[in-house]
Amino acid sequence: MWEMIVSELTQAMGDLARGFAHILPRIIVVVIMALVGWVVAYLAKVILRSILRLIKFDRLSENAGASQLLTKAALPSATDLLCRFVFWLAWLGFILLGVRVLGIVGLQEQIAKFFLFLPRLFVALLIMFFGLLLATFLARAALLAAVNANFPSPRLLSVSVRTIIIIFVLSMAFEEVGVAEQTMLVAFGVAFGAMMLGLAIAFGTGGKELAQQFLEKRFVHGRKDDGKEDELSPL
Amino acid sequence: MAETSFLTDDFLGQLISVGEVDILVGVPTHNNAKTISSIVETIQAGILTFFPRERAAIINADGGSRDGTRQLVMSAAIGDAQSRSKLYALRTLRSISTEYASSPASGAALRTILAAAELLRAKACAVISPESTQITPDWLAALLRPIYAETFDLVLPTYRRHRFDGILLTNLLYPMTRALYGLEIREPSALEFAFSGRLGSQFLAQNAWHEETAQVGSEIQFTLAAIAGGYRICQSFLGAKEHVGRHSADLVPAMRQTVGALFSSLEPNFSVWNAKTGSQPIPTTGAEQEFSLEPLRINRKRLREMFSVGVAELESVFQSILSPSTLGELQRIAALEEDSFSYSAELWVKTVYEFAAAYRKSVISRDHIIQALAPLFRGRAFTFLVENRNGSAANVEDDIEALCLEFERLKPYLLKIWNGRE
Amino acid sequence: MPLEKDEPWYKHAIIYQAHVRTFYDSNGDGIGDFPGLDEKLDYLVDLGINTIWLMPFFPSPLRDDGYDIADYYSVHSSYGTLEDFKKFLVSAHERRIRVIIEMVLNHTSDQHPWFQESRSSQENPRRDWYVWSSTDARYHEARIIFLDTEMSNWAWDPVSKSYYWHRFFSHQPDLNYDNPAVREEIWNVMKFWLEMGVDGFRLDAVPYLVEREGTNCENLPETHAILKELRRKLDEQFPGKMLLAEANQWPADLRPYFADGDEFHMAFHFPLMPRMFMGVKLEDRKPITEILQQTPEIPPSCQWCLFLRNHDELTLEMLTDIERDYMNDSYAQDKAMRLNLGIRRRLATLLDNDRRRIELMNGMLMSLPGTPSIYYGDEIGMGDNINLGDRNGVRTPMQWSGGWNGGFSAADPEKLYAPLIQDPVYGFPAVNVLSQKRTQHSLLNWMGRLIAVRKTTHAFGSGSIEFLYPGNQRILAYVRQLGDEKILVVNNLSNAAQAVELDLRRYKGNILIEMFGKNIFPRVGELPYLLTLGPYQFYWFRLRRI
Repeated sequence: MWEMIVSELTQAMGDLARGFAHILPRIIVVVIMALVGWVVAYLAKVILRSILRLIKFDRLSENAGASQLLTKAALPSATDLLCRFVFWLAWLGFILLGVRVLGIVGLQEQIAKFFLFLPRLFVALLIMFFGLLLATFLARAALLAAVNANFPSPRLLSVSVRTIIIIFVLSMAFEEVGVAEQTMLVAFGVAFGAMMLGLAIAFGTGGKELAQQFLEKRFVHGRKDDGKEDELSPL
Repeated sequence: MAETSFLTDDFLGQLISVGEVDILVGVPTHNNAKTISSIVETIQAGILTFFPRERAAIINADGGSRDGTRQLVMSAAIGDAQSRSKLYALRTLRSISTEYASSPASGAALRTILAAAELLRAKACAVISPESTQITPDWLAALLRPIYAETFDLVLPTYRRHRFDGILLTNLLYPMTRALYGLEIREPSALEFAFSGRLGSQFLAQNAWHEETAQVGSEIQFTLAAIAGGYRICQSFLGAKEHVGRHSADLVPAMRQTVGALFSSLEPNFSVWNAKTGSQPIPTTGAEQEFSLEPLRINRKRLREMFSVGVAELESVFQSILSPSTLGELQRIAALEEDSFSYSAELWVKTVYEFAAAYRKSVISRDHIIQALAPLFRGRAFTFLVENRNGSAANVEDDIEALCLEFERLKPYLLKIWNGRE
Repeated sequence: MPLEKDEPWYKHAIIYQAHVRTFYDSNGDGIGDFPGLDEKLDYLVDLGINTIWLMPFFPSPLRDDGYDIADYYSVHSSYGTLEDFKKFLVSAHERRIRVIIEMVLNHTSDQHPWFQESRSSQENPRRDWYVWSSTDARYHEARIIFLDTEMSNWAWDPVSKSYYWHRFFSHQPDLNYDNPAVREEIWNVMKFWLEMGVDGFRLDAVPYLVEREGTNCENLPETHAILKELRRKLDEQFPGKMLLAEANQWPADLRPYFADGDEFHMAFHFPLMPRMFMGVKLEDRKPITEILQQTPEIPPSCQWCLFLRNHDELTLEMLTDIERDYMNDSYAQDKAMRLNLGIRRRLATLLDNDRRRIELMNGMLMSLPGTPSIYYGDEIGMGDNINLGDRNGVRTPMQWSGGWNGGFSAADPEKLYAPLIQDPVYGFPAVNVLSQKRTQHSLLNWMGRLIAVRKTTHAFGSGSIEFLYPGNQRILAYVRQLGDEKILVVNNLSNAAQAVELDLRRYKGNILIEMFGKNIFPRVGELPYLLTLGPYQFYWFRLRRI
């Protein structure tokens, strides 16, 4: 019996050892892959950075207006951002390749899925990023226009613009990654309708004066609108 | 990029038939049918009186008029075929017209006139605004003589203005241009001016005709280019400039045209202005500047109101443009009662300089920076109006001079924040 | 001597204005004469002209170069005899050259026996052959023409103790045309020469014949009546003869001299001439087209006489002040070149001896509506001498060769009536007929070709004119048309090459044949006809439908 236990134990130990011996090289491979991956990713980063510097990518992105947006979003420079992105992408890719070697069932499928999902995630992130910038920009534009046109409650208008764009962007991003599409669509619809109503009211209030002016000009001859004509002339 | 011409074949044909000229007068228009005929007639009278023997032509650069402005200009030509003019001319005086775009853009209009001047080898070229209904034939002599008969390259006008006309000019453009570039140019952004062939050609050749430049005020760019190029500049007194009642909505476009152009010129011209201190007068014929004093109703209350609303509502925007101390000071005065409100010269100069530096760094969209300045300018205008409410012409002039000196005094401050990341 | 049956001969004349005195001296006395002129007729035949207009050759004290006549029935002894004139007339007609002589109607010399009689006493029968007055205040509205020499139109006669009227020099008293005897006598004079065979008269200073108080004494109806009467007699007794008016007037004032085709046959177009010079200087066609637009229609039998230069100063009377100042500043910077309201210079000197401009001006002279008149010497580009007084600077001897006295006379140079031009550019060694005859491209030979081409069509002499107004104002373009014959003339008034687009749609389908080289140019289509012209270049095209 003891012998049986011993032999079983030995066999188990042997199996474990064999199994370990079997898996150890794979782990080593994963580690090596990770290390190599880091080196390759680092190299890729360095090479990319020098290339981008060489072609003055920062200047390009500045001309395209992206740099201001990044600064505003408290993000590093465009070159840095791109380099970091490439680095992580390359390293992660190598690590995942290594993990595949482990041959864990199911994990492989998940990894494959992850790789397929990656571009969509990337696009969604991109949409979010630019969408948020756009929202900030247009909200500010609306704010300034409202202030200079002497509109009532400019900040409300500005916030509304920002909200509507963010909702719109979020729904686009979620649709891209395929999460809760239906919910987002409904939420967007509701928010959009509300915004439009708000805007219609805002325009109505703002345009009141314009309409009044028009009607006066049309029907009350010779009467000038005192509130308007005595604005200072700047030049 | 392919070699494309911004001159139409039709216009080129007209230029070929006009041929070489000594004097060219450009009139940029957009729906000016009401005034254009009398303006062109006055220009013709000016040319025929003061330059009867010179070869001359009038060029109309039109921004898509729909009221027949172009036809009126063309039919005003004094030739042999169908001349209806009562003016007597020794030689043919052509007036030709082209539509440079379907919507007005002062840069594109000026570019068309410059190109025509170069192709026609004009020795002297004047630009006349189609809205200057008070033009007299003498204006042509005042503008063109210093170039044609002397050796000046740019003639800028001075006018008799209402003391509260052109507050942006007197409170920002003139003092800032003067402080930075060291020349006492009263009207750096004039709609009437004249230039020599070589200055025109040089400005035309600059590779600065991309879309942005075409939109913003080309007049002030032209002045600044002449300063930067070291050309000889003088001023001529023309006469009264009519006060045109403006709508408040005109302020932002006007600021884009002028302040925007001034700000954007600072970076490329840094080497021109950074070392200059003080300022010098430039040769001037006639009065340097005259002010008329007849009463003018301006809605001051609203200026003040829009200033305060602006300061409150735009806080987030100002945070990225202004220094905390300037913003704090603005918020303080915004809360003051109307009687005690004062937007001091020093604070105004600091505001403008900080905006200029922020513009350079593009902390936010440059157009937004200019728009954000508008409510603050209203506050400054309010103070200017109040301070000079009962002032004589000399008082107004003193006030403007003091502001100029403030701009000059604080120039080191601009240099300090120019490169700093404040 | 019939030339053309249907068309009056003067419409297709090419006039050569000469002065007997200046042309050729056959007897070595230093003064040109009729035998000399006779001798040189073949030169004029070679040039291609068909009419000579002779300046006054009558006996005269020559204080106004013969325009002060002392005897209407004779020839000045320096120029030969009446017989010499008759012989010259015959040989000219043999060469199919017509002769127009000068007739000074308005005044005589104060040496004329008529005036001597008239001034001798108040009772003399010829007293009222002239205009006498006890005061110099009459007709004060009449302008003074010779501003540089005369103070008044009245002159004091110490012999008869009264004032006499003179529109020109004070030694040229005006005849009194209110007197029928004067009118009769003048017709007798004209009849005398017509019977001898002259083909026409250039009537000098016609606007001034009659004086009336309260008027400027020019172009008066009474004057026209007298001229019409002369014309009526001429037509009755001497059909085919021609009257040419010298009336330095605006086109509208000139028009009455043609009346209904029953006064003058021809008149000089004075306002056009300075404007041709002005157009070339301004490089702008406006002055030329403008004056021709203002030129009224004339009766079909009448004709304008065009000229570039003549024996007088280039008159600037028919210009506005601005135009006159411009002309003076452009063409007579030297004050010595100015005389009265004009410029006393010749064609070549006015045009800086620029061959291209001389050709252009002659091209216009030959192609604008009218009969051209060439002033002697201008066909070789002779110069002038502004150091000679009055208008004598443009009346120097003809330069025939580079030899003794320029081939003009065998006399000692000191004996010449006037010195020859001697300067290095225009002097007779450089500019003369002999040397120009020998070079194919000389101005003289070119003028001969120009005249020959002009004579290939009647459209220039009697065709209509229609101006084209191309956008390029440096280009003067017009179409001359007579029946089916159409000539397109394009002149570049500028010193630089020019491109021009002509609207020739109404001549669509025609081909253009350049008249000098006879080359074919492209057919006229719907599109503007594009031509390029070199500096001061001109084209004459025959439009042909083939």
